[in-house]
Amino acid sequence: MKTPRLFLMLAACVVAVSFNGCVTGKKTTQPSGSDADYVNGTPLPERQEGVSFTSPNVDRDRFHPVYFAFDSFAIGGGEQGKIDQVAQFMRGASNTLIIAGFTDERGTPEYNRGLGERRAQTVREALIRAGVDGSKIQTVSFGAEMPADPGSNEGAWAKNRRAEFGVVR
Amino acid sequence: MKIPRALSFLVLLALFQAAPLPGADTPTITISKSDKLSIAIGSLTGADSTQAVKILQNDLAMSGFFNFVPAASAGFIIGGASTGNSVAGTVTDRAGKIVLSKTFTGSERGKVHQFADEIIETLTGSKGIANSKIAFVATRTGHKEIYVSDPDGTGVRQLTSDANISVNPRLSPDGSKLVYTGYKSGYADVYEIELGNGSRNRIIKFPGTNSGAAYSPDGRSLAVTLSKDGNPELYVTSAGGGGPRRLTRTRGVESSPTWSPDGNEIIYSRDDPGAPQLYRISSGGGSSRLINTGHGYNTEPNWSPDGKKVAFTVRDGGSFSICILELAGGNCRVVASGEGPAWGPDSRHLIYSSGAAVILLDAQTGQKTTLVSGLGKISEPSWSR
Repeated sequence: MKTPRLFLMLAACVVAVSFNGCVTGKKTTQPSGSDADYVNGTPLPERQEGVSFTSPNVDRDRFHPVYFAFDSFAIGGGEQGKIDQVAQFMRGASNTLIIAGFTDERGTPEYNRGLGERRAQTVREALIRAGVDGSKIQTVSFGAEMPADPGSNEGAWAKNRRAEFGVVR
Repeated sequence: MKIPRALSFLVLLALFQAAPLPGADTPTITISKSDKLSIAIGSLTGADSTQAVKILQNDLAMSGFFNFVPAASAGFIIGGASTGNSVAGTVTDRAGKIVLSKTFTGSERGKVHQFADEIIETLTGSKGIANSKIAFVATRTGHKEIYVSDPDGTGVRQLTSDANISVNPRLSPDGSKLVYTGYKSGYADVYEIELGNGSRNRIIKFPGTNSGAAYSPDGRSLAVTLSKDGNPELYVTSAGGGGPRRLTRTRGVESSPTWSPDGNEIIYSRDDPGAPQLYRISSGGGSSRLINTGHGYNTEPNWSPDGKKVAFTVRDGGSFSICILELAGGNCRVVASGEGPAWGPDSRHLIYSSGAAVILLDAQTGQKTTLVSGLGKISEPSWSR
């Protein structure tokens, strides 16, 4: 199907407005050059001193992990409810949150670290869309490290492709 | 450009042999018995000469350029004296003329590696690989830690002992230091280690994940994946990790940057087409270009020092292979099963990990040698230039 170029430009502009204010179609947002027109999500806040996903002052069991399909960072329909629960808690609490992204073992290590981070960021954006203050959410990726299930089969891999929530106490 | 005498001779010989025979009915393809130079290690004197001969012989054999023959039939004869921290090395040709005479200083192995590389450069014009360093991740202790060794697999040294996650070591071009991704803080940060004195600094620690740093060929910059702005994207920083400048802007994951030899371009892996593909971008920014490899899953690219090839990891049917892509013609071939290829300084050899081993591959002959094993599972090797 042929889509008129003007329509595409308008659509891109609408997307740009909703994220970051429109820049009238000129690609002048960054002095360092750009690659496609994607305007990213919300910048991360500074890290909290003495707090990380694995530190004792973080509750990692309060919410269920969000699971992903192989080599994907899209949030499946069945997973949205888990995010809504976290959003509800976060809107009413003063706690901060660390989202940790993980992958299964079937990928190369550095790509897996990137993919895990992308999963964590996707969940963070979903929480921000649900009204949670982005400055309260930090992310980290462990790639294929720290599997939930050490097995090498479909069942284990499905449990390992996840984003976990760590509530800072 | 300096063309070594021995090489010119070989080229002349090759031209002569390749010329078609006049009057022949069918074209004749002459396959020469060997394109290697015949050499002999003659008399090497001195206190540690036995050890030096062994190291030298191994270095020269590893280079792939030489056949060892008796001195009487050798094109070149190697000699010298090795004592203490120096080796005074010589190479003479068949006529007894000295083609190399130089003293090298360093450790027991280091001084011989330097001599080996000088022999290779003098006789072939190619850069040697003996006096370089390799680094890799191994799980011997039960944790992923960073190790370095000589490129012949000796002199293995464990650099980190954090009992945490230490991964993706990338040596500086001169082999004097490396950067790696460490989780000591609970987050992925980039650390730098000086190999000389072992000192370590956390140099990139933005919010989110900081990983995959790789030195530019002049050693002055790093290309690295940062997620501080809300998505894993590529940035270029100073060698010390300062002044991040953003290069990419996509919905997906950018990872594993590798620099062109002139530092003007970067090839990396990008997954927003649906699965990771190789892309090429100016190190100053701008738009990126897809490199078509014919494979569905392409990661861990490594640009050869001569600029002509990129080696990378493909995933086909659940297993990983090493591919080499010729950038000029676009020809892509699978050369081994394994992960994480890294070119050596000669652009002829590469190392990669395969299970519990670092394997050395001579991409010209296909010969494979196990360099390192017995340290648990090995991953993410790197090679200095």
